[in-house]
Amino acid sequence: MGRMIMKTRKQKLVFRKKILAISVLLAIGSAYAEDDDVTKLTKNESSVSVGAGGVSGDSKSKSIFTQYNGLRNNDANLLLDIDVTRLNDATGLWTKIEGRNLGLDDRDLNFSQTKQGDWKYFLEYNEITHHDIRTINTGMQGAGSTAPIIKSLTAPGLGADLNLQLRREAATVGGEKWISPNLLFEVSFKDEDKKGARLSGVGITCGFTRYPCGNGVNASGAALLLPEPVDYNTKQIDAKLNYSGDKFLLSGGYYGSYFTNSNGSMTPALSGGLYAPNGTTALAPTANLTNYLTAPIALSPNNQAQQFYVSGNYAFTPTTHSNFKYAYTHATQNDSFGSMGLSGGPAGIGDLGGVMNTNLLQFGLTSRPTAKLNVVANLRYEDKNDSTPQSAYNVLSGSSPLQQYSNGYSNSSTKINGKLEAAYQLPNHYRATVGIDYATVQRAAPPSLTSPAATDMGLAVGGLRENTREASYRAELRKVLSDTLNGAVGVVHSQRTGDSWTLYNATGTLPSSMLDRNRNKVKLSAEWVPISKLSLQFNFEDGKDTYTGPAQVGLSDTKMYLAAIDATYVLSENWKLTGYLNQSDQTQDISHFSIQSQLEDVNTSVSLGVVGKQSSRLDVGGNLSYMNDSNRYNVSSAGLPDVTYRVTTLKLFGKYALQNNGDVRVDFVHQNASFNEWTWGNNGTPFTYSDNTTVTMQPNQNVNYLGASYIYKFR
Amino acid sequence: MKPIRQLIMMCAFIGGLCGVSVAFAADVPAVTPADALKKEADLKSNPLTKDQVCTRCHDESETKPILSLYQTKHGVRADSRAPNCQSCHGESDKHLHGDPSVKGRASPDLVFGSRRGTSGDFETKEAVLQNEACLACHKKDAKRSHWEGSTHQRENVACVSCHVIHNGGHDKVREKLTQPDVCFTCHKEQRNLINKPSHHPIPEGKMACSDCHNPHGSVGPKLMKRDSVNDTCYTCHMEKRGPFVHNHEPVDDDCTNCHNPHGTTAESMLKMRAPFLCNTCHTPHGAVAPSLAGQGAAAPYVSPLNSGVAITQGRGCVNCHSAVHGSNNPGLTLPGTTLPNNSQFLLR
Repeated sequence: MGRMIMKTRKQKLVFRKKILAISVLLAIGSAYAEDDDVTKLTKNESSVSVGAGGVSGDSKSKSIFTQYNGLRNNDANLLLDIDVTRLNDATGLWTKIEGRNLGLDDRDLNFSQTKQGDWKYFLEYNEITHHDIRTINTGMQGAGSTAPIIKSLTAPGLGADLNLQLRREAATVGGEKWISPNLLFEVSFKDEDKKGARLSGVGITCGFTRYPCGNGVNASGAALLLPEPVDYNTKQIDAKLNYSGDKFLLSGGYYGSYFTNSNGSMTPALSGGLYAPNGTTALAPTANLTNYLTAPIALSPNNQAQQFYVSGNYAFTPTTHSNFKYAYTHATQNDSFGSMGLSGGPAGIGDLGGVMNTNLLQFGLTSRPTAKLNVVANLRYEDKNDSTPQSAYNVLSGSSPLQQYSNGYSNSSTKINGKLEAAYQLPNHYRATVGIDYATVQRAAPPSLTSPAATDMGLAVGGLRENTREASYRAELRKVLSDTLNGAVGVVHSQRTGDSWTLYNATGTLPSSMLDRNRNKVKLSAEWVPISKLSLQFNFEDGKDTYTGPAQVGLSDTKMYLAAIDATYVLSENWKLTGYLNQSDQTQDISHFSIQSQLEDVNTSVSLGVVGKQSSRLDVGGNLSYMNDSNRYNVSSAGLPDVTYRVTTLKLFGKYALQNNGDVRVDFVHQNASFNEWTWGNNGTPFTYSDNTTVTMQPNQNVNYLGASYIYKFR
Repeated sequence: MKPIRQLIMMCAFIGGLCGVSVAFAADVPAVTPADALKKEADLKSNPLTKDQVCTRCHDESETKPILSLYQTKHGVRADSRAPNCQSCHGESDKHLHGDPSVKGRASPDLVFGSRRGTSGDFETKEAVLQNEACLACHKKDAKRSHWEGSTHQRENVACVSCHVIHNGGHDKVREKLTQPDVCFTCHKEQRNLINKPSHHPIPEGKMACSDCHNPHGSVGPKLMKRDSVNDTCYTCHMEKRGPFVHNHEPVDDDCTNCHNPHGTTAESMLKMRAPFLCNTCHTPHGAVAPSLAGQGAAAPYVSPLNSGVAITQGRGCVNCHSAVHGSNNPGLTLPGTTLPNNSQFLLR
């Protein structure tokens, strides 16, 4: 009631100001003020923003900050944004031009026209470059090509620096047309190129019967870092016809996706010796080892998939609704081995002939049989049928002469997910929800223990399981305690089990996705507005998964908890404070043979922000955030150091209205990031590949960004 | 300056009032009963006129931007489908004409707001009733065909919990740069994860939550945009789709078996570093403890298979098993030799 009076008073005050303004302007012969106020509210505003921005430091010292934002390569950058919206009120024709970051290498440009209620078309162009945050130092020539030449460095760090990046450029066109008031046709086509290189490599350990490298000092093996050349093109077509009536919606559609890789394989060459295994002298690898390291490495093959589907919903009554979908997907991969630069397959086989057919069927029902009761049921059935011809691609480990066998293990699977849930509005503003979820996965039968595949399977996994099934039970209680306080508590318990195992190795690790699992989770949340200016939100989650199987190796336990507090405080009509504090902890226990590992990820994040109007012309704001992420590796043998990531970011902005149609905006960002990991080096000792290639990253990065723009506004 | 400005305004106000009053008195005709009936009929049939029932009070002086609705598609009069105020908020006769049983002004028939409490001065209605008003028109959109029974619908999330209708076309949740902030109102874990060093370009505004999720409901798990996690990932990472000569079954099963797409500290958004991630499914190569170069080994590279360093540092297991997503290499032996290719172990 108090607030109501305040609002009325405010309206009266504003009304008075409006009348005053009108009077003044009438007195001077113009109604500009009133029209201007209404125009400002009812007419779309367009803008063009031009400016410059720069980031301090060289590419290594800002690699984390500039990973995706297009500010990596240049000290100063053009900032150019366009946002033009035009509406023809008489015809309902919208014209929009949106351009963002047009001066950077992650620009977006969109143009669209919409005749509301009739048709629409659009054209989009998007770019993004992902710059790897690490730097490779190598003597390799042709890095990122399909034929790199490995040349060992005499010592780590004496080679050329190489920064990998992946760049995407995509163009999308599309449109829609209302053929009748109930019939809508939609279509879009996206074409994207992705080019660059990313980390890959090749390596082998010799001395096994699986791969004899021959005799010699350099016979035990080697590993090389080889940037994988990326030159991809993807095309996606989406078309659908939607028919809607009073009680139903029916859509029929096609989704086609096509992947093309300009490179089929990568074939490195060796020039000179390698440092493995002794690390001090470059020695010529044995002939066998050389053969292994320089054989063609397969890259991703071309593939394509077509999907046809029917989906929609139907209202049996105003309170009982259903929805459904049927989709058939035909995916193929028949890239010729020869064209990929690969050979040596089974006789008479020129390509894989890969075929994967998927049938998906879903049906859901929701109902409100009474005003207080809501019931939901849903069933989803997905059957993937791997129809790829089986051929003798595999070689039995250690067999002499070499014994071939077919893959013998297809990717076919059937997944069924069912859900049943009921929610009831209890007295005293309580709302209770209970639910059951059931999920089952049926996989292809594992290779039998007498098949040639069993030996190789045992090298990789302890066993496989054809079927797993999981039942989950959920309950939630929500309560509106008052106008200013409400909360909820929820619990989940689930149990996964399955068929008996086909065990290949009694002491081997069993895949965690197939293990029996017992899951328990609790979730608490509350929202509280103790005073009108302050709102608080609390969230807490805690959970534990316990895995069991015939052999107690592999993943055994995982735990997690998350606690978060969010706050918003309205200082005044023009100023607002926001903030949050998050704390989370995740652990995973893994055991293998005599080694027990407990991994823990502890994360603390804090943020504080303020935004407001310093005056009628000046908007200002700032945000200070801090994250401390610590990955701990408690390994029962020697143990590993923590991997820590700490980042503090200060963002400030100010926007000043120079005139009615022009603002100046200044942005400042300071970021301090500290990333200490042992992946590529430890305590000053780099991890070196056999050619002394190393990878580094500047662990402490301090970055300042300053940008200023003039924003021209018009209607 | 302030007192002088007030004086000038007062004088202008008095003068203006005089002038306006005279003009108004001269122009306003007398209202007849027939006029009143016509006005009532107009109100019922003409959407623009119906809006005026509300906007004569909720005008440009309103602290909330009501009139800015006309900057949006809801306010386009050339589209016969466009609603008027009453389409969403109800006829609200009691709010207009008063309710003797209510002290002060009665509430409109339907007041929108998040489930967190009141919206302004009036109690908000249940989310399901609010959403019915929106779905009266938007149920025709195929992207919302699976709203009923979806996670947000079951959790009683109102459309206006995420969407802003009157804010002049600037609906935060529909813009890539600001959408995640709306989602993080409830999804706190993801707010943390996207700030880790290996992440999708969400903080940079190049991707948003809706690039992978359909918050209005979908057939896929976790409101995936496509029918499954993998189908969603393949829209950008199609090179992983295969099938391959040698497949890695958990890859085909679910990308999130190994990756957390919201962000991680380990590279490539892997949930854990090697060898630990791989050891959750695979038997390690002997009782080799993970170790680091300089942690005791004389050289960083002794014997790759049995080197604790080689399975831990660099790319870990993937130093050798580089075709971890699958290999299309059909070769049984290395070219020109009788030595096995070993691509079934995803080595090349």
